[in-house]
Amino acid sequence: MKKKDKILVKICVGTSCFVQGGADLLLYNDFLNPELLSKFEFEGCSCLGACKKVGGATGEEASAPFVMVNGKLHGNMNPEKLNKLLMEEV
Amino acid sequence: MNDIFIDVDYSQVYKHGQKIGGDVFLLSRNPERNQIVAILSDGLGSGVKANVLASLTAHMAHNLSFSPMDLTHSAKIIMDTLPVCKERKISYSTFSIADIRYDNSVEKIVVNFLEYDNPSALFFKGVKNIPWTGDTIDLQREGAFKKELLHRQTFNLEVGDRLLMFSDGVTQSGLGLTMPLGWRISGVNKFIERILENNSEISSKELTKAIVNKALSLDGLASRDDITCSCIYVRRPRRTLIVTGPPFSKESDCILGEKIKKFSGKKIVSGGTTALIVSRLFDKKLKVDLSCWSSDVPPASKMEGIDLVTEGMLTLSKVATHLEAKTPVYELPNDPVKKFIEILEDSDQVHFIVGTKINEAHQDPNIPVEIGIRRTIIGRLRKALEDNYLKETSQEYL
Repeated sequence: MKKKDKILVKICVGTSCFVQGGADLLLYNDFLNPELLSKFEFEGCSCLGACKKVGGATGEEASAPFVMVNGKLHGNMNPEKLNKLLMEEV
Repeated sequence: MNDIFIDVDYSQVYKHGQKIGGDVFLLSRNPERNQIVAILSDGLGSGVKANVLASLTAHMAHNLSFSPMDLTHSAKIIMDTLPVCKERKISYSTFSIADIRYDNSVEKIVVNFLEYDNPSALFFKGVKNIPWTGDTIDLQREGAFKKELLHRQTFNLEVGDRLLMFSDGVTQSGLGLTMPLGWRISGVNKFIERILENNSEISSKELTKAIVNKALSLDGLASRDDITCSCIYVRRPRRTLIVTGPPFSKESDCILGEKIKKFSGKKIVSGGTTALIVSRLFDKKLKVDLSCWSSDVPPASKMEGIDLVTEGMLTLSKVATHLEAKTPVYELPNDPVKKFIEILEDSDQVHFIVGTKINEAHQDPNIPVEIGIRRTIIGRLRKALEDNYLKETSQEYL
């Protein structure tokens, strides 16, 4: 599969995402289904700005850490949820 | 901040099997009186006894240098005071004293140099060794067991000059082992010249380390005497700029950009939002480097024109903690904190530009207390840099 065919996954490494679970997400090589690793391209990014949007997204989704998959923002992420999310995305 | 920096450092290896050294190097900077005193003393024998003799000598020489007394008279007092060795029935220790005084702008640096029985110190102008021209004084002390000759010289230091002092462990290394008469001062001289030809801006720390390591290897990696080497080097200061926090108002962003552009030296940007601002101002892409992080601190980023881009508060507070504890760099994991500290250790003057805008994302009560107030952390950093690492620091708010 060529690089450009891969789906881009951006993991926020801003301070507040990092301390609230973003650090675990950066170990994606360890917890993700190996089949998924080849289909996605992972990169770190600085603050996506989602943490500052008061009154934007609400509920569970509205807290750190944030991950952006294929341009769509997902909040309150953890390794299991990310695995599930990426499975659905494929 | 001054445009000239006097870099003094030393390197030392004890005699093989000893836990305490018979060579003592003492350095004190007295900025109020514009004076630096560096003393190297070698006590008779090795181990505890030698250490007592050398420490006594060094501390006496140190205190007397700060007094208005003539250095020659001080030397007499030192020798009269030293305790007598039980076996050899003599009291003996060698010393070199470099009493450096400078004016307020550090343009004119005068050294009063005094040497007793240490291997002759070496004076380098650039890569060239300059022979000594000073005078010799015979102390003619009563009860002396040998002729006591003091070498004395007063000279000026300019940018690029080096003064190197050794203990006899350096010049006698390899004696009868790899070389019949040891390394000798001529060998040391050649070695230093070769290093300076390859790297004329080598720091005192690295130069003395190279000399001591060479001496140790000549001794077959089991030093047969304490090996000590110290260097006084006058050079232009190495500067580092640390930018942290976004400016209070958007209009100040351009001022920040100008300041970063104008600065000559290493540049560190610490803070995600700050990095975004800088990347927008300079129109340079910001790329997160996922190969360099640890569970304590988020990854560093890369940006053209900036030496290091890191996350803000977590990284800074970790850096402050390690600087306060004087953690050796090699003990740190490969993360942005290590790179940060490496840059700081390698610089003489550190300037902080602190943005005062409040970060809304840090107001969340779920966030650990480690994320303190930026100004407090900068205060800790500056104090640790000044007290533990003898760096000059300054800061401004934006």
